[in-house]
Amino acid sequence: MNWKIIKSHLRVVFLTFEMTFRQNMVDSFILFTIVVQPLLIAILAMWMLRERGGDYAIFVIVGSGMSGLWSSLLFVSGNSITSERWNGNLEGLVASPTPIQFAVFGKAMANVTQSLLSMIASYSVVAVLFDVQLRMEQPLVFFSSLVLTMLTFMTFGLIISSVFVINPDVQRWQNGLEFPIFILAGFLFPISLLPGWTNPLSYILAPYWATRVLHAATVGLATSSEIILTWSMMILFGILYIALSGRMFKKMLYRARVEATLNMQ
Amino acid sequence: MDAIEIKNLRRVYATNTGTFRRKMKEVVAVEDVSFAIKNGELFGLLGPNGAGKTTTVKMLTTLLIPTAGSATILGSDIVKDANDIRSKIGFIFGGERGLYWRLSAINNLRYFASLYHVEPREADKRIPYLLDMVGLGDRGDEKVEGYSRGMKQRLHIARALLHNPEVLFLDEPTIGLDPVGARELRAVVRDLQSEKKTILLTTHYMFEADALCERIAVINHGKIIALDTPEALKKHVIDLSVIEIEVYGVSDDLINKIKNLSYVDNVSTQNREQRQILMVQTRRGPEAVPDLVSAFNGVRIGKVSAREPTLEDAYVRLVGGAA
Repeated sequence: MNWKIIKSHLRVVFLTFEMTFRQNMVDSFILFTIVVQPLLIAILAMWMLRERGGDYAIFVIVGSGMSGLWSSLLFVSGNSITSERWNGNLEGLVASPTPIQFAVFGKAMANVTQSLLSMIASYSVVAVLFDVQLRMEQPLVFFSSLVLTMLTFMTFGLIISSVFVINPDVQRWQNGLEFPIFILAGFLFPISLLPGWTNPLSYILAPYWATRVLHAATVGLATSSEIILTWSMMILFGILYIALSGRMFKKMLYRARVEATLNMQ
Repeated sequence: MDAIEIKNLRRVYATNTGTFRRKMKEVVAVEDVSFAIKNGELFGLLGPNGAGKTTTVKMLTTLLIPTAGSATILGSDIVKDANDIRSKIGFIFGGERGLYWRLSAINNLRYFASLYHVEPREADKRIPYLLDMVGLGDRGDEKVEGYSRGMKQRLHIARALLHNPEVLFLDEPTIGLDPVGARELRAVVRDLQSEKKTILLTTHYMFEADALCERIAVINHGKIIALDTPEALKKHVIDLSVIEIEVYGVSDDLINKIKNLSYVDNVSTQNREQRQILMVQTRRGPEAVPDLVSAFNGVRIGKVSAREPTLEDAYVRLVGGAA
């Protein structure tokens, strides 16, 4: 693949990001989930946590933020393919010379960015309103890890999307994927509380490594070796997810073209 | 080398029947289809609903894998070289879907231009040119959701031409359009023809195919049943005359009875509000009128006229009254 083609594909990622942002801004349902819902959740969380102190509050906020991000990614990744199919755009995307995963990545990037920004804004505003001190011991490590987290989440989204290419019926399994990741990635409690045999499952999930470094950065326990380990694992799994999703998209698209499921009949 | 070469193309769909005891059923949509389209030719594929037109186009546009047979576009195989083909072809499927309704026409075209690797500078020149060409030059900033069906169809044409493809697939581009919109769209297709683009047009409007296409293939039940120039196809009915009879409330039984008369070759029907127009093909010419009128015993009859056969009559004869 030459540089010109790579540049063209990257342009698709950023233009899909822009177009998705534009479309979301005029969709009242999406605006509710981006602006109003996180605000309500933040008010509820802060109201419950105001007596518990800043350390505990930030742990819960990071955990619930990660859960929100995962739910958003899970539904957006699947729904992006399903909605393209319903709108009759999936065929147009598949029949273009750009591999569809670049468009899907751009969509995930827009939706995850919107969700994250809205969560950060909501919690910050509500923390000020409720006068809760949110202490962040290693803010630079935290925000650098957050950028890496978003990127690896999006690569994970590619794997989810590829499955939706073949058949919209896969959507019925979508809900079933939400809680296992909450638990295995340690969003709300440490995985040491889980049975030992589940730990290898956690280790192959990039969200686990993301949660681990983010929690550590909030309380000042992100040592150099911890940062190197978690970041390396996120980068490694991100690359693995990209490679795996590339193969899966190829296989799933071929099957969809055999089974005639690219369009709603 | 021809622009499009199709050899023994076949496509079977698998469907489920039953609720509790599910059974797989196979439906043959395209059966042993072969034809070739020359460079710069405007070729028509005609057939009734469900004849296999769209399935053929979807295989050629790399959206469906053929069950058997092969096809090449500009020398590239539609399965093995799908990626090479995609940048050389453009397609539109009739209807309003396939656009981002919450975006403006310009933003839709910017997005599709990026998918087809059109450089931004080139896209900035090409988008206004194409919007002007399809008559949307002054509406490009508006969101697509506010467009009429005809405007969306024309935007589809602009989208398909963004990367200046050598081969175009137009699948029922005028379906659902009002007469003025359909005429404007046909004018756009004629302009494309003058630019020497290779075009495969599917339609079930005979006059459209007659007016635009250099050659026409008629497809029915997935098989090509005729392939020739419009003039040559009309010769299929040179021995016939067509008697048009306006009737009010004729039953299917009576239509079948007319079809079975010894001097009647074929009958097709068009519903127009409360009346029906029966087009009776007969070798006896206008002499058959008195006998035909008496066969409609008890049914109110309006205007009766005799005329020379058209491409539509040839088509009706070929597909056996399915139109």
